[in-house]
Amino acid sequence: MRQKFSFRKEYRGRTIFVILNTVFFIFIMACMLIPVIKVLVDSLDANPAYGMNFWPTQFTLDAYIIILSKTELYLPFLISIQNTLLGTFVGLAIACIGAYILIQKEMPGVRLFSYMFMFTMIFNGGLLPTYLVVRDLGLLNTCWSVVLTIAMNVYNLVLMRNFFEQIPASLFEAAEIDGCSPFGIFIKIVLPLSKPALASIGLFYAVAAWSEYFHYVLYITDNNKFNFQVKLRSLILDGESLSGDYAVNVETIKNASIIVAILPFMFIYPFCQRYFISGVTMGAVKE
Amino acid sequence: MANTAKSGAMSDKNKTSARIIRYSPFYVMFTPVLIILILFYYLPILGLRWSLYKFNPFIPEPVYIGFENFMTLFKSARFWAAFSNTLVLSIVNLCLSMIFSVGIALLINEIGHALAKKFVQTVIYLPHFLSWVVVAGIFALILSVEGQTGGFVNTILIKLHLIDEPVYWLTEKKAWRLIWYIANRWKETGWGTIIFLAAVTGISPDLYEAAEIDGAGKLKQVWYITIPSLMETILVVFILNLAKVMNVFESVFVMYNEMVYDVSDVIQTYTYRVGLQGGANYGYSTAVGIFKSVISLILVSAANYTSGKIRGRGII
Repeated sequence: MRQKFSFRKEYRGRTIFVILNTVFFIFIMACMLIPVIKVLVDSLDANPAYGMNFWPTQFTLDAYIIILSKTELYLPFLISIQNTLLGTFVGLAIACIGAYILIQKEMPGVRLFSYMFMFTMIFNGGLLPTYLVVRDLGLLNTCWSVVLTIAMNVYNLVLMRNFFEQIPASLFEAAEIDGCSPFGIFIKIVLPLSKPALASIGLFYAVAAWSEYFHYVLYITDNNKFNFQVKLRSLILDGESLSGDYAVNVETIKNASIIVAILPFMFIYPFCQRYFISGVTMGAVKE
Repeated sequence: MANTAKSGAMSDKNKTSARIIRYSPFYVMFTPVLIILILFYYLPILGLRWSLYKFNPFIPEPVYIGFENFMTLFKSARFWAAFSNTLVLSIVNLCLSMIFSVGIALLINEIGHALAKKFVQTVIYLPHFLSWVVVAGIFALILSVEGQTGGFVNTILIKLHLIDEPVYWLTEKKAWRLIWYIANRWKETGWGTIIFLAAVTGISPDLYEAAEIDGAGKLKQVWYITIPSLMETILVVFILNLAKVMNVFESVFVMYNEMVYDVSDVIQTYTYRVGLQGGANYGYSTAVGIFKSVISLILVSAANYTSGKIRGRGII
């Protein structure tokens, strides 16, 4: 159905549409990118005048150097990295084991386990009772309160189960006959065959863990255990002031911390986009 | 296997126990997951009883007070304001998201150049991956009042002579909701198109060819083929999201402030504030949580039923 790009009468309508559509998408992309570019420019400007400039008036990297050298700024960043790795790893372990159990159709109790997972999607104790349980378990102010909350994600578990269900049952039977234990089958057959699903779901976990904000506010009161998102919000929206004097404007540091929060993701996004998308369509096509 | 060969001779009970033994390694593997599931999801359900108690960190023992927390709740103007804000914010946002995502998906589908299409998709999916804190931060900075003429937005508005001096928009009651809707669309519109793009790609090209032979123009093809074919997906996505209207939380939590509680406070933020921030009224907060859970349960069940009617299977 490829049509010629021409203003001759028979093509004119289509050509005008193509032009308008292009203009529209340039506008949409500008809307998506301008706010981020503006923050990037101001993060490199020693004296962000804000305004409409798209080039720093006085170029400097000082804000980034300050973030890297000041404990109260780089510690939350390290905590973010640590808990993202932990959350992704524990999350994948839970999703894989849970999903592997749910595909054992012959296992006594498997239906009950399945209902137990599904039920959490329609009803739960709510914010305060969960907080009280976490408090009574002595998990307040530990990274586990946040990591386990991120890791126990039933939606991801169901996605994983759907993927495991596509593995031909004959493979399991053959391995069983060869004397492979259930754990052996899990490690040697299920996981290697599920690399795309592991990538997609692992990325979901990583993004969720990196972005986590509320559960830190909820479960953590110790200033030295907050992640970067918490620091970012108190810096920008709550107007928290930084101790000490700096060569750069505090506004520059605010802009730079946003860029720092986005940066790790920007590195992996271009390479991983297809895994993100396949994760979405995986959820949409079957449940 | 040996077990299966013998099973015919065994009674039902023995068969089950034999199966349990055969599957014992699975139970061992599953135990940690089950423990975490129970601790984080089922133990809290027992805590729902606190809604019947006067319970806060400042009294030694919870005191049973019957339904008093619920009575206070239904008389509280703040609570009803939060409830109506939840409905307004979620539903308006949901409708906007459907219009924008379907519309943009249709237009992306018309981009003929494969590389350009890929590029557009990459760019518009991007904000989805930024955390709400980052999105709120970016909006706060471009709406800033710092500097001579304020941030990007204030500067433009001053240049256009729409305002005389920088306005701090996030504390402005009249503007807050609009900003919240825009932030939501900025973050999620692109990502929302994925599912509709997949559905558009699934429409059989035969339909379009037949329409073309019948002399239908491009616009007519969209109206009579694309949109009807998308209708099921649109309905399902709409219903799925309708089931989640009570869940609106983090986007509000990171963007709201005391000045705009009237237009921004939602059930979840209210539950948090009365329960932990300042209020520390555990019993009352649990009661608000139950109200939210019950409404959600009704919505999810209704969505499940409707989804069953539309596409022959539920959502759970």
